[in-house]
Amino acid sequence: MKRSYVPVALLLVVLMLNIICTQYMVHQYFYENYTNTIIAAVINVILFPVAFVIYKKGVNVND
Amino acid sequence: MTDKNNKIPFNEDNYTHNINRNNERKLDRRGFMKTLVGAAGVFAISSLPWGALAAKELTGLGDKKYPKQKITEEKSLAIGDAVDFAFPGEHDSAILIRLSEKKYVAYQNACTHLRCPVFWKKDEGEMLCPCHHGKFDVNTGEPIAGPPRRPLPEIYVKVENGAVYAVGVKRYEA
Repeated sequence: MKRSYVPVALLLVVLMLNIICTQYMVHQYFYENYTNTIIAAVINVILFPVAFVIYKKGVNVND
Repeated sequence: MTDKNNKIPFNEDNYTHNINRNNERKLDRRGFMKTLVGAAGVFAISSLPWGALAAKELTGLGDKKYPKQKITEEKSLAIGDAVDFAFPGEHDSAILIRLSEKKYVAYQNACTHLRCPVFWKKDEGEMLCPCHHGKFDVNTGEPIAGPPRRPLPEIYVKVENGAVYAVGVKRYEA
């Protein structure tokens, strides 16, 4: 049973992007750049299915 | 069961007596990945309200709409003079000041200290609340002297066909 830690690393990257986008979104909201707020929110939402796909692939292949 | 009930606290040698499987508390690779996906889900859900609020601001749903209201004729208000009116409600007294040929400013004239009416001092070029000598900048409505700390709410005005109309109230910003 050879495990790959590539999906784990990818998920950590996704989590980092989540954090960055969330902070960017909140700051842009208070700077009243509402378009940038929406862009960051959409990225945040899209990152969830991406993370789910990475999880599915990683689990099926290696366990 | 009965002997357990008679011994309170019942006999246990650690705080993990309710763990029944081996390695139940171990976070393996799969569990760690599940946690990360869950975190991504939490981030996604929590960004929805921000997106909704931003969309609301962009579409202007948060701005209150008032019917535009005629204040006065242009020719009846000399440069440097002021006229009182009420906007948006009949008890929201306000003041319109003509600063130049084209420039009009209007504020709700209840002082932001204790709501005394604010007057326009033409010769000194500032707005004065006589109760406690609060003064406001006529161009911005910002307080410049005395007890008030918040600006006067600005009323947007529009000049159309020789008459001055009040069209909206600037949103309050803390």
